[in-house]
Amino acid sequence: MKRIEKRRADAYFREKNTYMVIYFIIWAIVSYGVVLFAEPLSDIYFNGFPLHYYMGAQGALAVFIILLFVNAFVGDKIDKKYGIDHNKNEAIGRGTTVDH
Amino acid sequence: MDTQFITSLVIILATFALYIFIAIFNKAKETSDFYVAGRGVPPIWNGMAIGADWMSAASFIGMAGTIMMLGYDGLAYIMGWTGGYLLLTFLLAPQLRKSGSYTVPEFIGDRFKSKTALIIAAICTMIISFTYSIGQLSGSGVVIGRLFEIDAKLGTMIGVVLIAFYAAFGGMKGITWTQVAQYIVLIVAYLVPVIFMSLQITGNPLPWLSYGEIVGKLGELDRELGLSEYFAPFEKGTKWQFLALMFTLMAGTAGLPHVIARFYTVSTMKAARWSGAWALLFIGLLYFSAPAYAAFSRFILMTQVAGSKIAELPAWTKTWVDTGLLKVADTSGNGILEWNELIIANDIVVMATPEIANLGVFVIGLVAAGAMAAALSTAGGLLIAISSAFAHDIYYRILRPTATDKQRLNVGRITIIIATLLAGLVALNPPGAITQIVAWAFALATGTFFPALVLGVWWKRSNSKGLIAGLLVGLGVTLTYIFAAKYGGFTILGIIDTGAGVFGAIAAFATNIIVSLATKPPSQEIQDAVINLRYPEQMTYKDGEVYMEE
Repeated sequence: MKRIEKRRADAYFREKNTYMVIYFIIWAIVSYGVVLFAEPLSDIYFNGFPLHYYMGAQGALAVFIILLFVNAFVGDKIDKKYGIDHNKNEAIGRGTTVDH
Repeated sequence: MDTQFITSLVIILATFALYIFIAIFNKAKETSDFYVAGRGVPPIWNGMAIGADWMSAASFIGMAGTIMMLGYDGLAYIMGWTGGYLLLTFLLAPQLRKSGSYTVPEFIGDRFKSKTALIIAAICTMIISFTYSIGQLSGSGVVIGRLFEIDAKLGTMIGVVLIAFYAAFGGMKGITWTQVAQYIVLIVAYLVPVIFMSLQITGNPLPWLSYGEIVGKLGELDRELGLSEYFAPFEKGTKWQFLALMFTLMAGTAGLPHVIARFYTVSTMKAARWSGAWALLFIGLLYFSAPAYAAFSRFILMTQVAGSKIAELPAWTKTWVDTGLLKVADTSGNGILEWNELIIANDIVVMATPEIANLGVFVIGLVAAGAMAAALSTAGGLLIAISSAFAHDIYYRILRPTATDKQRLNVGRITIIIATLLAGLVALNPPGAITQIVAWAFALATGTFFPALVLGVWWKRSNSKGLIAGLLVGLGVTLTYIFAAKYGGFTILGIIDTGAGVFGAIAAFATNIIVSLATKPPSQEIQDAVINLRYPEQMTYKDGEVYMEE
């Protein structure tokens, strides 16, 4: 165990949270935002659908899936930047769950 | 006994045999190299297993029918039941994984160092999972009722026996590979009829691209009949109801004990975020298809069934009328079945459409097997959540810490049997459609665990008094609103029972924060443990310093 600067650990935490806030803003726009403006959007057509219907049936869900994969990729990148070793985590993680 | 009955039964039994075979095969393997096999499941397979756990009778049997009945307003279920995975994967899953606890009540008991909190959390787990399982039993009643051509009530009774046996048999649940098989069965069973219908109606094998024009045509048909268009927003409820329901389903996803439990078994925080991404991709396959299923079903009913002569209705109508879930009445007396004379329960749309569209005995049997996989895999998980909350968290940790393994196992089994019987009793006269019953379970999770866990993980100042007050107030407000809206006709901004979670969550967040601030902060040790959840496994926070394992 080596002591590291708390500033560095907090930078890790902040960087992850910044991305998370961005994801949540996009998440809110494609779901809550579209519902709030459903009436004006219903005049626009996309692929045969009125746009508000398309977003509810496919669009929002597609964005959710993309955001989760982007989060997983970006999360791995941030871990690498801060020198987090996945194998090490796995070894530590194995010890923490109590088996019942 | 007709061909359909035999084909459906054979497919259902064959899939059951497959699950049992995989369970037995893997159990032997897993004991030999316990940890490696148990925790080393790659996120992609774990994602499928989460999908099977997640997609219940509500998703499989109920959702497309609900969308068909509600039109655009039903899409709150599509966005709500998927958008919650972002809350879960970003806000809770990795952090709960790092905490190392095994169940939600256990995390709450440890985080707040309080036995009272543990008991209340265990009781909330039981209430939520119990409500959820009523929906599953009601779903199995629809499937079994159709299979044996009996009343859905009798079907539910058979389902109760089957599910109690399945869950008490235990072992099968929690074995990832069985759930992977269940996922594959249920997704194939769902996609095959949608693809066939798409080919039949539009000539395009990709329903996700082709049903746009059908949605447009449904709007035209509605206009001709003088009804509001299928895709018109907020016809069946207010905009606020849509938003409240969507929030309730999202936050509930992040607060459901049996779903969170799945993330405790991944290997690391990294595996937790990848599992969340894969899970939503696999779940999304069904959710992308449900609105297409709904549109094709409605199109077939409106163009091929409505308008036919009552005396010449095809054979499928009789079998479904026998289950008590379909009504055809020639109220106008002109000998022709009109669209408004066809009363079809939400819950039979998915099961009945393959018959109506004449997709053949094999496809119909496959859909029945998929529906059973969905109802059983989720019901098993729910009943185990109930029994572990009682047998482990309450009986063993509070009532009798000296109980032997055998006593705990017996208490667990008895809990499962009693819970199934009680849930079955309620399901005999289901208080709502499957999706609606399940939405109440989500409302309860939104009003209780969502605020408790978010504050427990992200706010170190939240203390046991705040948590207990928050849980009780959230539970009380949600339950009161559900009953007041359903039976008393009381609503705020047109928000009905299914959107109750939004009020529970607001009340619980406020109570938790106010009571926590008004009372003593938690000990330094607890606050340090909460800060520790911010960092990956390799970093440890202690006494204001961060240490890293090299």
